Amino acid sequence: MIIEPSSGDTNGESSLAEFDTLRRLLVGPEQSRIEELSDEIESKQVTAEDLADKLPEAIALRAGRDDHLGRALGPTFETAMRESIRRHPDEMAAAIFPVLGPAIRKSIAETMAALVRSINTAVEQSLSINGLKWRIESWRTGVPYPEIVIKHALVYRVEQAFLIHTETGILLEHVSAPDVNVADADLISGMMSAIQDFVHDSFRPAEGGRLRTFSVGEHTVQVEAGPRALLALVIRGQAPDTLLQKQQDTLETIHLEFANQLAEFSGDSVEFAAARPLLESCLETVVSTDNAGEKGRLVWMKWALPVFLIAAVIAGFWIRSNMRWNRSLAALRAEPGIVVVDASRGWSRWNISGLKDPIARQPEAVISSSGISSPPIVGRWEPYLSLDPSLVALRARHSLDSLTSFIDNERIMFDAGSAELNPGALATLAGIVGSVSRLDAAAAASGGNVKLQLTGRTDPSGADETNAALAERRVDAVAKWLSSIGIDPSRLVRNPVATSSPLEAGDPAERARINRSVSFKVQATTAQATPGGQQ
Amino acid sequence: MIQKKICMVGVYGTGKTCLVQQFVHSIFSVKYLSTVGVKIDRKQVKVGDEDVTLLLWDLEGRDGTRDITPSYIRGAHGIIYVADGTRRETVDQLSDIRTLVTDALGPIPSIIALNKVDLTDEWKLSESDEKSAGGEGVHRLRTSAKTGEGVEAAFQWLAEATMANPGNTR
Repeated sequence: MIIEPSSGDTNGESSLAEFDTLRRLLVGPEQSRIEELSDEIESKQVTAEDLADKLPEAIALRAGRDDHLGRALGPTFETAMRESIRRHPDEMAAAIFPVLGPAIRKSIAETMAALVRSINTAVEQSLSINGLKWRIESWRTGVPYPEIVIKHALVYRVEQAFLIHTETGILLEHVSAPDVNVADADLISGMMSAIQDFVHDSFRPAEGGRLRTFSVGEHTVQVEAGPRALLALVIRGQAPDTLLQKQQDTLETIHLEFANQLAEFSGDSVEFAAARPLLESCLETVVSTDNAGEKGRLVWMKWALPVFLIAAVIAGFWIRSNMRWNRSLAALRAEPGIVVVDASRGWSRWNISGLKDPIARQPEAVISSSGISSPPIVGRWEPYLSLDPSLVALRARHSLDSLTSFIDNERIMFDAGSAELNPGALATLAGIVGSVSRLDAAAAASGGNVKLQLTGRTDPSGADETNAALAERRVDAVAKWLSSIGIDPSRLVRNPVATSSPLEAGDPAERARINRSVSFKVQATTAQATPGGQQ
Repeated sequence: MIQKKICMVGVYGTGKTCLVQQFVHSIFSVKYLSTVGVKIDRKQVKVGDEDVTLLLWDLEGRDGTRDITPSYIRGAHGIIYVADGTRRETVDQLSDIRTLVTDALGPIPSIIALNKVDLTDEWKLSESDEKSAGGEGVHRLRTSAKTGEGVEAAFQWLAEATMANPGNTR
């Protein structure tokens, strides 16, 4: 529908008013809605800007009213926290470290201590002679084993711990050992603080001291007072100073952890239930196997290791020395030509005496050749002749060697161009004969035989043929003479070399003279080849 | 568990100890009163849904007021004053005792037990005497250790008063 306003002057104003009315009728609701919306948008902007100022207050208000805010924010915080930890784990770790570190340390220490205690107790009680005795007593009398242990071995046992509010005497928390039944701990607590006051008021100590311990029969009550709470331990037996220290520490911790609750205490002890673990840590049972026994064991342990080591070292030395001694003696006894008659061992020297064949090895050499290092050996060795086959052979070899070298050094000298044995040559031969026959005997003793090589030489003058013949004649002459006195010709080895391998000398004349000769070489074959025989 | 320390004070012979004896749990003998000067008993009452343990410190009554041991009333949450309605002087002394206690503890819930109400013939207090006994600002009750009259009510009243006392409840 289109409405045109009429342009007539007479009804122009009235028609304008009508038009306005019509417009309001038609689009009025929409227009006002648009205005509302625009207001709303504007006001929303204002709230957002003001939110920063109002938020803390708003949160405080809402939090005071109910816990909807906490519940609503909970998941968001959890997500944010998770995200934060995921992104910066190091920073998070650093932030909570001061809290976690001590807590973990404490927990570990307590766990370890408890473990060690229980192991100690278990081992000590089950293995010790006392443990066995007490088990027999328990079996005999029908009294339970733990009671027997406590009867005999109890050093002390903290049976109860009272945490008492100082001002009112009201019991804040109470713990007791498993088999200790205490009714009316609250009354006892009140009376205990009343008695504290009574003693204090009666004697009025100058420094404001308090009743700290009192004993009844085998029980002692040890009271430690803090500014707001008392910690009283009921102890059976004799408590050590360390317990007092522990009691003080516990009380300090309680004052620290429950500072507010203690300050504002008005009779509601529920909050002090959290102090139970602290109090329970004071309930300890120490039997002599834990305490005196432990001390004894510790002392023993302290000495055991060094003593054991020293003993082990000494034993080690002794065994080693013993072994060396026995092996040395065995080596000496096995050695040919040595007879041990007397042997004694000192720390710094060995005394060994006996008989010794002069050609046998020195005792020290025998021992060291068996790979044993010995202290100096002193003793007297009487010489004797050993008939040990090896020594007999050795002795024969020795004489063989000396004879061989004697004979080898002898030369039968001839005049120039002659093969006649002159008087000097005959004299030399006569000297050799004795040695040769002894050589035979020695060779036979060492299980072999001897051949004698005769090397005939000439001086270089003259023709080679002449010299060769001359050398041969000279060898013949010596061989013939030796045969004539009974030496088997088959044992003589002829070796006329003439000038082919001359003996050396500096002076030509002397060289010529010594080469006009027949020289000897003993060729001994023995059961054991001797160095001399190989030459 | 809520516990309240309640002190019972009064001159010697007012029947304090007898008053509570049959209503409380006790493990200590009366001898404590003359030796240590105090005997502690326990009384369980219910305030609303809450169990309240009253620890009753029965203080030795002596002649004269100065002998109240200040250490014993320290920290008390409520006081029961006991007077003997058949002995006027015990009522007269209440004001002094109250002053002493209030000086030490400040204003705390208190109740006056005018005891031995069963001895009607010997009762020495007029109605106005009873109303003014012990001075201003204190609740009063007639009690009898013999018949038990007023005793439970006294405990109940005091327990409720200590629970309601803003200085004593958080």
